[in-house]
Amino acid sequence: MSAPYLQAAGLEVAFGGLRALRDCSFVVDQGRITCLVGPNGAGKTTIFNAITGFLKPQQGSVSFKGRILDGMKPQAIVHAGIARSFQNLRLFQDLTALDNVLVALPDMAGEEPLGALFRPLHAHRATGRRRVDALEILEHVGLVEKSREFVRNLSYGEQKLLTIARLLATGAELLLLDEPASGLSHGALEALMALLRRLQTEGKTLLVVEHNTRVVQKIADDVLFLHQGHLMARGTPEQIISDPALAEIYFGGAI
Amino acid sequence: MDFLYSYIALAEIYVLLGLSTNLLVGIAGIFTVSQAAVFGVGAYIVAYCLMHDVMGFVPALLVAAAICVVLNVLVTLPSLRVSGDYFVVTSFGIQLLATAVFVNWTAGTGGANGLPGIPSPDVFGYQLESSHQLVLLTTVGSALGCLAFWLIMRAPFGRLLRAIREDELAVAAAGKGVLRAKVSAAALAGAFAGSAGGIYATFLSFVDPSSFDLDASILLLTMVVVGGARTLAGSVIGPFLLLALPQVLSLIDIPTSIAASARQLIYGVLLIAFMLFRPQGLAGEKL
Repeated sequence: MSAPYLQAAGLEVAFGGLRALRDCSFVVDQGRITCLVGPNGAGKTTIFNAITGFLKPQQGSVSFKGRILDGMKPQAIVHAGIARSFQNLRLFQDLTALDNVLVALPDMAGEEPLGALFRPLHAHRATGRRRVDALEILEHVGLVEKSREFVRNLSYGEQKLLTIARLLATGAELLLLDEPASGLSHGALEALMALLRRLQTEGKTLLVVEHNTRVVQKIADDVLFLHQGHLMARGTPEQIISDPALAEIYFGGAI
Repeated sequence: MDFLYSYIALAEIYVLLGLSTNLLVGIAGIFTVSQAAVFGVGAYIVAYCLMHDVMGFVPALLVAAAICVVLNVLVTLPSLRVSGDYFVVTSFGIQLLATAVFVNWTAGTGGANGLPGIPSPDVFGYQLESSHQLVLLTTVGSALGCLAFWLIMRAPFGRLLRAIREDELAVAAAGKGVLRAKVSAAALAGAFAGSAGGIYATFLSFVDPSSFDLDASILLLTMVVVGGARTLAGSVIGPFLLLALPQVLSLIDIPTSIAASARQLIYGVLLIAFMLFRPQGLAGEKL
């Protein structure tokens, strides 16, 4: 049997006395939309940080397509094919939508000073080509008309789409989305769900932190239920939502 | 006319320094208050080389620039670990340390007395003696600096630096190397400041520690704030405007004993006023 697509095994993360992840193990299958659910403080964002190298688990291991990612820097993990978004977006406010995407495109000529200074024409031409790529990505998420707008002038829904455009620009095949649907209006929510489905048909694998059960039911192929830093259940959205014990934890606020 | 020439030449040297400071503080967001120290090292190296006939002006300038590249990378390295406010304090310490060395290392720097009688620069066999020849040198130097700054700003490297200033974590999450870009920016700023120092030493034919102290570093910051952060125009306007101030003050009839402190006072007031009322400076963006 071949190696799992993404595998987390026995992750332990503690912040002082707080154990954010305890013996957390799960597998994400290729080509599927997997939703990560659980009450607040269950460790969902911590899992993202551990997978993408933003924090180092005290124990446990993450592997991607059979390759161990432990100890790799965030930059290297993006090159390995995993990119993540942030709950608080972290867009570059003073750059345009287009520039936000351009920053994330890999292998950019003129991105170091010597290239910029001594091969300016080469850098300029290469930038022109990459601009076309970046506009295609913006088109894909429905923001091409806003390409010249500064981020601060975009609506919240547009900013959320831009974070996805920036993820796509990295070229990663596994996208980790941290609450992409929160705070969206009904129309924006529908557009977002359609986009996520479309990304799936184009071969991306998605791991999504989501609170909205309606969204989970609509987009998830698999659901991972996290509680107190531990994977408590795994199943289809129907299985998870119909389990009264999980509903009690999720909605009842039980410890 | 000599007076006008020397004003232009000095302002153009400060343009190079303004570009250096703007690159670090304005664009990359590395808030340094020690650029004058790097400027000083460049000046002392060129002064030493010319006074002791070690090499000609052009190679000496290249050596000074190269050493300042390394030096500026070293003094900026703490910014990769400590951010924001903490780095200002670190950088402040580096500036004080440099001043202490400039003042006390008498054998190398002449101590508080400085180094007088630095020979005029020679460029490819031509000795630049007259003031308009020197202005030509500073003009070519600052024009090259402006060209480099412009190329950086419009290249993907400039965009990456701006992104880093806004959010390092997001840049790392986009798969880009923050460390490498910051070190590159520091290296470039070092080359700018070192070359400015070398030109400054031969232009004045005299250097002493007072040109490279904390006041000078703060003057550089004031130039960037008043001129405007992150733009080429801002880096040019700031030095020309602030260096004109002493001349304007000399027109007003105040005793020379308080003229210097009056100048410092006005620089301080300008810095505060711009930060409060026009943070984008005359031709720039908000710092």
